[in-house]
Formats: sequence, C-alpha cells, structure tokens
Amino acid sequence: MNLFFRELKANSKSLILWCIGILLMVASGMSKFGGVSSSGQSMNELMKAMPKALQAIMGTGSLDISTAGGYYGILFLYLMVMGAIHASMLGSTIVSKEERDKTVEFLLVKPISRNKVITWKLIAALVNVLIFNIVTFISSATVVEYYNDGISLHGDIALLLAGMFILQLIFLFLGTAIASATMNPKAAGSVSTAILMGTFLLSIIIDISSSIDFLKYLTPFKYFEAKQVMFGEGLDVVFLILSASFIFIFLFVTYKLYKVKDMAV
Amino acid sequence: MNIFIHEWKSYRKSTLIWSLSLAGLTILLFSMFPAIARDAENFKRLLEGFPEPVRKAVGLELDSIASFLGFYSYMFLYVSLCGAIQAMNLGTSLLTKEIREKTADFLLTKPVTRKQVLTSKLLAAVVSLIMTNIFFLTAANLMASIVKTESYSVSAFILISISLFLLQLIFLAIGVLVSVIIPRIKSVLSVSLGTVFAFFMLGIFGSAAGDEAMRYITPFKYFDPAYIVKNSAYEPAFLTMGAGIILAAILAVYYIYSKRDIAI
Repeated sequence: MNLFFRELKANSKSLILWCIGILLMVASGMSKFGGVSSSGQSMNELMKAMPKALQAIMGTGSLDISTAGGYYGILFLYLMVMGAIHASMLGSTIVSKEERDKTVEFLLVKPISRNKVITWKLIAALVNVLIFNIVTFISSATVVEYYNDGISLHGDIALLLAGMFILQLIFLFLGTAIASATMNPKAAGSVSTAILMGTFLLSIIIDISSSIDFLKYLTPFKYFEAKQVMFGEGLDVVFLILSASFIFIFLFVTYKLYKVKDMAV
Repeated sequence: MNIFIHEWKSYRKSTLIWSLSLAGLTILLFSMFPAIARDAENFKRLLEGFPEPVRKAVGLELDSIASFLGFYSYMFLYVSLCGAIQAMNLGTSLLTKEIREKTADFLLTKPVTRKQVLTSKLLAAVVSLIMTNIFFLTAANLMASIVKTESYSVSAFILISISLFLLQLIFLAIGVLVSVIIPRIKSVLSVSLGTVFAFFMLGIFGSAAGDEAMRYITPFKYFDPAYIVKNSAYEPAFLTMGAGIILAAILAVYYIYSKRDIAI
C-alpha cells in the first residue's frame, strides 16, 4: 500500500501536466470549430463521393466536420495519440525507473514479494490512466456540448472514451511488459515509443491505401475509430476481443518476466 | 576533438536506426502515390464544388492535391514529425545524459572548458542530423524518380526536403535549451515527445483555422510546402524566425551552461 501511494505521488506532477495538455487540446481544438461549421453544409455528399485515400489526405476521413460531433471525431484521433503516449511512457517508466535511478536494490530488499511490487505499481498506473481518461471525458463532453446544437453527444463521447481507455490499457501493459523483458532500463521507453509511432504511422498508411486494409488488426489506433464508434455500429466485438487478449498477454508477460528479472544495478 | 569523436560514436547506432526508419517510411509512403494519383484524376472534377474555407482547412490547394508535389507535401508532414522527435531527443539528451549516467564530473574535470564541451557535443549532434538527412534525401530522390507521374519542379522538391534539416535544427536547439533550463530531466523521451507532439497538434489545428499568428508558434508551420511549391523559395519571415530561434537558443545555452550547477 505504501508503494501505491509512493507511486501516485511520484507520478502526480506529470499527470497534472498531461491533464492541462488535454484541456488545452480539447478547448483549442474545438474552438476552431466555429470557423469551419459555417461553410460545411455541402461537405457530406462530397465526402461520400471522394475516394478513401483522398479523404485521408484531406484529413477528415468520412466524418462530417460541419457538426460538432464530427469535428470532435477528428480531434479524437489526436486525443488517442496523447493517451497512448502517456500510457506507454507511464507503463515503461514505472517499472524501469527503479533500475534507472538505482533504487531497485532499495525497493527489492523490502519485505514484499516482487509480485506485490508489480501489482501495486500496476494499480497506481491504472489510477493514473483512469484519471487521464476521466479528465478527457469531462473536458470533451463539456466543450463539445457547448458547440453542439443537435441532440446530446454525451453517450457517443462516453463510448469513444471507453475505447480510448482500452487503447490506453493496451499501451500501458505493453510498456510494463517491455520494461520487464528488457535488460537495459533505458531501452524500455524507446522501444515502447517506437512501437507506438510505428502503429500510429501504420494506421495513417492504412487510411491512404485501402489495399492493405487487413493490416488494421495490427494497430490499436484502428480499433476504436471515431467514425465507427460514433456513427457506425459502436465498439466492434472483434476488436474488443483482440484488445482483451493483447491486454491479457502483456499482463501475463509482465508478471512472468518481472518475477525472474535480472535487475541491472 | 576527442569529445566530438566520443559523442559521435555513442550516437552512431541510434542515428543509423533513425536514418533507416526515416528512409523506410519515405519509401513506403511514396510507393502509395501511383494508386492515389489514379483515384485523384477521377475525383478532380468533383472538387470544384468545394467551399473555400474547407479547402484551406486541409492545407492543400485545389489544383495541387493530386499532383506529385501535393502528395509529397502531405506525406512530408509525417516524415517531419519523426525527424523532429529525433532532433528533440538528441538535443535534450546531449547534456543531460552526463548527469543521468553520473559521468558529468568525469567529463567536466577534464582540461577543457565547458564551452568547448558544448561545441563538440553540438557539432556531433549536427553531424548526426546531417547523416539522417543524407539518407532521407537519397531515399526521397530515388523514390521520386520512380513514382512520379508528371514532371515536377525539382527545386521545390529539394527545398521541401531540405526543410526537414532546418526543422530538425530548430528542434535540436529547443531541446538543448529545455535541457539546461529544467533542473533535472529523468526521462528524455517524455519531455521530447510531449513537446514535439504539442507543436505538431498546434500546427494541425492552427492550419485548420487559417490563423496567421498561430504559424509563428509552431515550427512545423515555418516551411509551408504549399508556399514553397508556388514560389520555389522559403518564406523570408519564417526563415528569419527559425534562424532567430536557433541563434537565441544556442546563445542562451552557452550562457546558462557555462555557469550552471551540475548535479552529481
């Protein structure tokens, strides 16, 4: 339990900074909405006629940017990227920082098992990710509602944020799994970020080229896209199962490898 | 000189990885162009009905969206995002790694001034960026000659490509400056990723609003491909702005670092 509070405190400053970033992002992103909405009446039909690759280049995809919800859908991609960066950095550092800061000996000679250490660390990380998600939800719901003049979008946004939470969990546990697996504490952050950037770029490339659509199973950024969640069939079951298994595998690897990890001192 | 060689050696591997990934990304993105060019031909006529603000929102001129340089401008955004992360990472870790790895006292007790240390380190970082850009330029030129569908302005193409290097220099300078201002950086990656993505998103939403003032805030908007394609030159105001940032940051770094307390 001490470990839990210690971790919460250690991460509180960066969490506050991230939350401020999210608030600014949502507020400044949506404030641009006013300018676009006045001229977007005819966008919808035109967008439908446009080839998929071009839609991607235009940056809007098949979202209708003349409505607050559609505009938020574009913004949401970047919120997801922010959530994923936060989660993967958090996951990889919360495990590897003890080695980096040479505090691992101090920690591991305490009378608690390694399983307990990793469990409390994971719970602390989960709380961080959850707070991040809730702040995103509250700021999004408030700001979008301010610009929205149709039916309430709270339900849609909640569903999107549920998707984002799953994405955050995937990257959080990816980070902890890599940090537990790697011998070099400095490499953990770079490797998980490399994977993050790789999957993000892959999702963009899939947008451009429809012929490699099947690769979408490889990148979590494609699992819960705004256009599908808000204006399609909601959260996709296939992707939910896929995410759950990813989370489970990463968790399993984290526990398994942390227990036998040879700490770099 | 010894410091320069030592630094260069320690960056060699990561530079190579970055260079190869950037070149790979470039090749991948270019290889999609032929399919898009075909799609675009059919769609071009439809585009005439687009309202003006919307066209501006997506940053591509009506007539250039389907062109080779138009596509290049679009994909270049993602290349420059990666390049900026590399440069910012390099800049932020340049001086802080000595503190993190407890080698600062070893380095600073050597009979060289701090200014010399700084100069060698900066030179090594610039060389590393030049390496990356050579890889990128080679890959881009090679792919351009393969996939191009029409003749395009070579000078505009080169100018856009070189703006990657200029952008990287700006982020390198910002990175070094941040690293001497913040007292203790535990994780270089979170600082550099946070900063670069913040600027990147500012750029995206700034351009959606067509806000001229916003363009001064984010370096991602200093070298606007649309302008380069049209004029085959950089915008003087933003070129000065970029040079100013680099100069001011580097001067500040020399000043602060030469009298800074080093935590050991």
